[in-house]
Amino acid sequence: MTLLKHIAENPLLALRWLLLLAMGTLFTLANAYFLAPGNLYALGETFALLGLVALGLALTMLAGEFDLSGGAMVAVAGLIMLKCGTESALFGLLAALGFGALVGLFNGLVTLKLNVSSLVTTLGVMILLSGFAVWLEGGQAVSFANYDLTDAFNMDWFAVLSPRSTLTIALFVATGLMLAFTRMGRDIIAAGSHRKAATMAGANVPGAIITSFVLSGLFAALAGALLAITLGRASSTFGANLLLQAASAAILGGVALSGGVGRPFGVAIGVLVLAVLNNGLGLIGASSPAILLLNGAVLLIAVLAGGAPAAWLRARLA
Amino acid sequence: MSTATLAPSSRLSGLFAPARVQATVIQIATVVMFLLACVSIDNFASAANLSSILYAASTVGIAAVGLASVTISGNLFALSLGATAAFSSIVFIMASGLGVWPALAASLLLGVAFGALQGLVVGWLRCNAIISTIAAGSLIAGLATWVSDGRTVLAEGGPTWLGSGTIVPGVPWQAVLFAAIVIVGEVLMQRTRAGWELRLRGTNPDAAELAGLRVTRMVILSYVLAGAGAAIAGALIAAQSGTGNLRVGADLDFSAIAAMLVGGIAIGGGRGRIIDVASGTLFLAVLTNILLVNNFAYEVQLMVKGLAVLVAVTAGALLARKSR
Repeated sequence: MTLLKHIAENPLLALRWLLLLAMGTLFTLANAYFLAPGNLYALGETFALLGLVALGLALTMLAGEFDLSGGAMVAVAGLIMLKCGTESALFGLLAALGFGALVGLFNGLVTLKLNVSSLVTTLGVMILLSGFAVWLEGGQAVSFANYDLTDAFNMDWFAVLSPRSTLTIALFVATGLMLAFTRMGRDIIAAGSHRKAATMAGANVPGAIITSFVLSGLFAALAGALLAITLGRASSTFGANLLLQAASAAILGGVALSGGVGRPFGVAIGVLVLAVLNNGLGLIGASSPAILLLNGAVLLIAVLAGGAPAAWLRARLA
Repeated sequence: MSTATLAPSSRLSGLFAPARVQATVIQIATVVMFLLACVSIDNFASAANLSSILYAASTVGIAAVGLASVTISGNLFALSLGATAAFSSIVFIMASGLGVWPALAASLLLGVAFGALQGLVVGWLRCNAIISTIAAGSLIAGLATWVSDGRTVLAEGGPTWLGSGTIVPGVPWQAVLFAAIVIVGEVLMQRTRAGWELRLRGTNPDAAELAGLRVTRMVILSYVLAGAGAAIAGALIAAQSGTGNLRVGADLDFSAIAAMLVGGIAIGGGRGRIIDVASGTLFLAVLTNILLVNNFAYEVQLMVKGLAVLVAVTAGALLARKSR
């Protein structure tokens, strides 16, 4: 009964574990290759791309804001990485990260100074960035001649971990620690929980909001730059569906749209649910309507778990 | 809503009240920009160019008007409009053998049905508005792919009045439909009980519920309107091109959101009028067209559109602060 009660109190928490477990079992039964190191490696790569964008978005959501520009930033950062990184890859990476941080700073400052919803300002930035990406691309395929670096990023540790996925996991842990144990982390959560009360209590609300946007820009830029290095090419179409997926993953992972609620660990599980679903469906050769329908169905289940039906269940079991 | 209750002498100041100043500035800017372009750009005022502006504005605008009811009622925005428009374009073409009106009715029915389902999930089951509509978008796109087999469907007959007909040279029938929808929407929102309840739901959801307003029904209604708007937009695009496929409405979601926000609809709900959606749509359509006739590339058009959203919102916020 206590387990049932626990599940009823956190329906979303239990549900995402259940979904992950059920999908893992089903896909393994359907195709044993699902658990093979090669496929786990591929899962890690998906996790790295979607995870970084979702983590950044989740940080802004925690602070009570919403960064719509992350998906477009992935495309721009990848193009900057390859355009500026022909001589020195490090310079390209720094340029991409610097651009991401700058755009994040801009998003944060505009949101703070104008007192306008960040949904609106970051929408403008998102459209601007997608135009910038097409301009950077200039109608040509942008590729990377530094094969050594691309190879280095495609190596594996213990057969399943790539440099990208390892770095992403490290950033998830670091962000989790930051939120739990540092003053800035608590300020971010306070700013999203009740902004007025947070300001009264002496939390650095402006700093928290700007930090969350800068980190969001940085994480998205890092995701784009690493993707470009790994693939050895970049395109303005990268990241087209990333924003919606990242938002889905964050909300699936228990981050509240109203701010102040959520943990990076939950976001990681949310990202894994989406990554496993799409990887597994691809593996068993599902048709594209089936993939779309199942994606929608999983999101719908998750969303129902956060709505009235779950509340009804909670009331019955309590 | 303040202008309606104030005495005529204060109407002018009402236009520049903090809540209305962005909408007023955009309306003036649209007219000024249009007139300047007519004078300074060759062929801008030609019938062919005017109708191309109106074609672009009509589809985005009709979707944005529907979407605005969701935003005004306090549910931010729907992200299923592109998918709804794509499915609607396929249905419109498949039914086009029956004639334009039956095909339009079939599209509309589809949009209303999907809208009602989303309204039930958000309004009755109290689920998260953003992720419900992302889920719905995925489901609708999946169904559309399944129905169309992932292929483009082609219309059998030739062009129809809805696709390429004009009432007078330069004003297509699609623009007449857009204008009619804006007028009906404006009256519905400003003059009827449902409109008042919808706006109050957006201003303060808790208070609206406590006051005994039909909150759930209003939320469902807003999603029905959004679904209907997206479906009509999809049908109009299909009628124009004679094809229906999954790429129709690919950027409709964010175009409609941008048009609505530029016009002066507050994202938080409760503030803004349907007429503002029309001016925001026309503002962006005229701006894009000016860039287009001056041979600026697609990416420049996108960047200017992004800047326009930022500038409009920034100016709105600053002006509202000043006049307070």
